[in-house]
Amino acid sequence: MADPLDYLRGFAVTFKKLFEDRVTGDYRGGKAKEGAPDNKRPKPERFHGRHVLNRYEDGMEKCIGCELCAGVCPAKCIYVRGADNDPDDPTSPGERFGYVYEINYLRCIHCDLCVEACPTQAITESKLFEFSFTNRNDAIYTKNELVVDDDGMPQKMPWEDWREGDDQLTSGWMRATSSAGDHRYEGSVHWAGELGYGVRAPEVGQSAGTISTDGGNSPAEVRSENDG
Amino acid sequence: MTDTQDAVSTVAVTVNGAEIQANPGELLIDACERTGTYIPRFCYHPRMSPVGMCRMCLVEVDTGRGPALQPSCMLPVTDGMTVDTESELTRKAQDGVLEFLLANHPLDCPVCDKGGECPLQDQTMAFGPGESRFIEEKRHYEKPIAISDTVYLDRERCILCDRCTRFADEVAGDTLIHFMDRGNNTQVNTFPDEPFASYFSGNTVQICPVGALTAKPYRFKARPWDLEENLSTAWTDSVGSRITVQSSRNKVLRVLGVDSESVNWGWLSDKERFAFEALNSVNRITQPMARADSGSDLASTGWAAAMSTIVDVLTDVDPARIGVIGGARLTNEAQYAWAKLAKGILGTDNVDAQLGDGLPAAVVLGLPRATIADACRPGGTIILAGPDPKEDLGALFLRLRHAVVNDGATLIELTPHRTGLSGIAAHSLHPRPGELGDLAAAVVAAGSGTASDAAGVAADAIAAAAASISGPVTVVLGRASLAESSAAIVDAATALNGLADVSFLSALRRGNVHGALDAGLAPGLLPGRTTLADGGEAFAEAWGSVPESTGLDTAGMLAAAAAGDIDVLVLLGADPLSDFPEAAAAEAGLAGAATVIAIDTLPNASLVAHADLVLPAAAATEVDGTFTNLEGRVSVCEQKVTPCGTARSDWMIAAQIAQRLGKDLGIESPAAARAELAALSAVHGDLTEAALAAAGVEGVLCSGNGSIAEPAGSGSVDPANDAYSLRLVATRRMYDAGTTLSHSPSSAGLARSIELRLNPADFDKLGVEAGSVVQLISNKGELMTPVIADPGVPAGSAAIPANSPGANANQLIDASQPVTDVRVERS
Ligand code: SF4
Ligand code: SF4
Ligand code: SF4
Ligand code: FES
Repeated sequence: MADPLDYLRGFAVTFKKLFEDRVTGDYRGGKAKEGAPDNKRPKPERFHGRHVLNRYEDGMEKCIGCELCAGVCPAKCIYVRGADNDPDDPTSPGERFGYVYEINYLRCIHCDLCVEACPTQAITESKLFEFSFTNRNDAIYTKNELVVDDDGMPQKMPWEDWREGDDQLTSGWMRATSSAGDHRYEGSVHWAGELGYGVRAPEVGQSAGTISTDGGNSPAEVRSENDG
Repeated sequence: MTDTQDAVSTVAVTVNGAEIQANPGELLIDACERTGTYIPRFCYHPRMSPVGMCRMCLVEVDTGRGPALQPSCMLPVTDGMTVDTESELTRKAQDGVLEFLLANHPLDCPVCDKGGECPLQDQTMAFGPGESRFIEEKRHYEKPIAISDTVYLDRERCILCDRCTRFADEVAGDTLIHFMDRGNNTQVNTFPDEPFASYFSGNTVQICPVGALTAKPYRFKARPWDLEENLSTAWTDSVGSRITVQSSRNKVLRVLGVDSESVNWGWLSDKERFAFEALNSVNRITQPMARADSGSDLASTGWAAAMSTIVDVLTDVDPARIGVIGGARLTNEAQYAWAKLAKGILGTDNVDAQLGDGLPAAVVLGLPRATIADACRPGGTIILAGPDPKEDLGALFLRLRHAVVNDGATLIELTPHRTGLSGIAAHSLHPRPGELGDLAAAVVAAGSGTASDAAGVAADAIAAAAASISGPVTVVLGRASLAESSAAIVDAATALNGLADVSFLSALRRGNVHGALDAGLAPGLLPGRTTLADGGEAFAEAWGSVPESTGLDTAGMLAAAAAGDIDVLVLLGADPLSDFPEAAAAEAGLAGAATVIAIDTLPNASLVAHADLVLPAAAATEVDGTFTNLEGRVSVCEQKVTPCGTARSDWMIAAQIAQRLGKDLGIESPAAARAELAALSAVHGDLTEAALAAAGVEGVLCSGNGSIAEPAGSGSVDPANDAYSLRLVATRRMYDAGTTLSHSPSSAGLARSIELRLNPADFDKLGVEAGSVVQLISNKGELMTPVIADPGVPAGSAAIPANSPGANANQLIDASQPVTDVRVERS
């Protein structure tokens, strides 16, 4: 027969923690009562939130329906189908566009492999993370929800609680890992301009390396390696 | 593959330090692959002659004069050869070849249909340089251009491997795509204003090692990693080409050819390749439908109600007043189930899988039978007494063409007019319609020294043809023209059976019609190539009972129904209005039958106009089972997707009908049906699950005649010649107004409208001009048609396609006569 005190000892950590400072903030998703504290923390630049489908500066969609994101997705939560662009009214540059694009957020693990796989930087992850839908259909975001609006900003879902700047920096991780996560490319621009932002600046901080100021496509060290 | 020597002597070759035994004459690339060393390649294709275009297969070879790089696809093995496929030099060469190929190759992979299964991608990853040194602008062309109704060409992606052009030239004989221009501007293209209108164009898409050629039906539909596939058998004609059916999200998206040595060598006709589209059609029948009374439209109903109706109409009916037409769409297992239902349970022998457009079962099953390989034996003779294989049996056409062009087979045509093989035939004899029997007898007689004119063909032509017969003879036997009865073909077959070392390859065209005959879906027949007379006793024991006497064929059933002697007519995937040679007879029969039950996948003319009850059937990609091809070869069809709507497999429908009638069909799965067939049939004994699995892509050949006796001559006399009329010839085309094709979006537009082809010599006599529209009149009806000159049609014949959009030859044909005479009048 175990010592009955063992039972209480098990709660020792719990009791101790009760009287320590809390590490979590008081965030009530915009539903805080008047006067109650409500401090939603700013998200880091490379936060893996829900996705957006970006557009070029001329308004065309970047997604070409190539399914590379769907192919790489370890949770198999992306469903893409391509189709022929109407030559007179193309959706994206080139022959093919993403005709169906769906992400099931009941399955997505926000690994960002889709972002790395995307050859056109069409899919990136934003800082938005609220998924308080109440049915399965709402959990599947389609092109209607994912494609950025005419200003290049994410579309606001009814259950999302946006604070100043939350809708910004929707491609942070992509800009940190492009191209192919090769640190030698840090600081150089390998992406096309985005509707609403133009060409986004490279993100800094992967390594202590210097940042190329010419915005050129290949840093000198890479160029010389290739020429060798 | 072509060098299958009996390996009495082999040559020893050292590959990467290990000695292998190769066959003399074998190409180094094949010998290496066979023994487990893969050499990368783009242009080499084992079914076509090597050209050494791409240089990807360079390996370091030492034949005693020191090591040097040589293309292994152009190099036959020699004794003592030393090969290094992994040396520094080989690697550098592969690296260089790929770098050059990519110099002009666009970075299209994400939008390219080949991406994910692209040999250029794969080999670049495996053998190529990691990074490109090219920063120059690439070559640009308009992307993509449609070179036919089904194929797109993107010249930027082309690596000039010559596979497509070689296929068109060597394999299909349709030299419609070529290299043009020179140097950096070399490109594949069609002739100006001449599309790549080949029945075999889809093969070039399949063998293109890059995404330069893509197929419209598959364009952007999926990526390779979406697809799941099954090995199956093509269902649109009777060749039984092996295919892989690929689907994504429960929808068939693509069909590719599989290389089967005995059947299709990997090639498919475009009909076999693209007809799956019809199975995805929005017009598929998804619900049982019933017609309240003869005037009203078909309206959806449930299975329970439909089955009750069937039980009502089938209860207490005299078996002789029940008829079953069709069944060639079904799998062998479903055919067996239906044969058992009709003959064993319902007790009727009025069962016919052919629609009066085929041949008597005794002719197909009772003569010595040949395989495709038999027909293609080097040095043999092929006598074509049947339809144009290019139109009807595409994959067989490619095999026959290869035998004649490459293997020295002699081809003699006894056809109503020119065919797709005439260009390579040693002799093309075109008898007057209805007189094929005479011509065949004359050829046989000429072989023993007495040549005479016959069927409008001159004696010297007959003598020359007879003289060219050598080696084993294969007669490709079928119904060339719907406007001629089968009597002349029966006579021709019995005459040609007198030749030495002769065997027959059936050219009946419709789907699994040979399976239907083997399952006993013909009057007087029982499963396993036996007759009521011979096998009746055994089957009576197994099934409980069999019909007492031979029943009616389709023509007989339609006539009986028109006379009010048939109460229930079951159309098992049959459309007599479009396919029975005489439309009026089909119309009268369907109208006369008290109840018409149609079991089908898509609506057809007969179903829409006459069916009182419609049951939705599962289609070819939705059922498990086997298929019997024209050789008698049984191969697997595997279910890939779920049946459309509430459609059910045909065997299941038969079992349910039996059950609702209070009987037990004893069949609970396709495998059970197959086992029962194998147990009862004299020719299907080898058809075990183990044998099917072991046979893989080749299938199990069920050979032999069973107990079917050789046919006797038809005893018909030649039709009288009427100097004022022309004799009608109605032949099938690959693309016609058939149900499957008209529901396949990419192929529907390829069916050409009707045209009358006449020998130029007849123009003056008739007073018509080429290009004018004339009236074609028979004693059954009339058709308006433009007329064109065609010297390939013998004088005195009037050739029209059998089933063109808006004009079906069966409106003219008198199916009760050996031939149909027509008059041409200016309109
Ligand atoms: S988001 Fe990117 S990877 Fe995904 S389908 Fe579109 S283009 Fe391809
Ligand atoms: S052909 Fe192959 S390498 Fe070329 S774009 Fe297509 S997938 Fe990429
Ligand atoms: S189109 Fe394809 S098959 Fe034809 S030459 Fe070019 S790469 Fe080869
Ligand atoms: S495969 Fe040998 S040269 Fe192309």
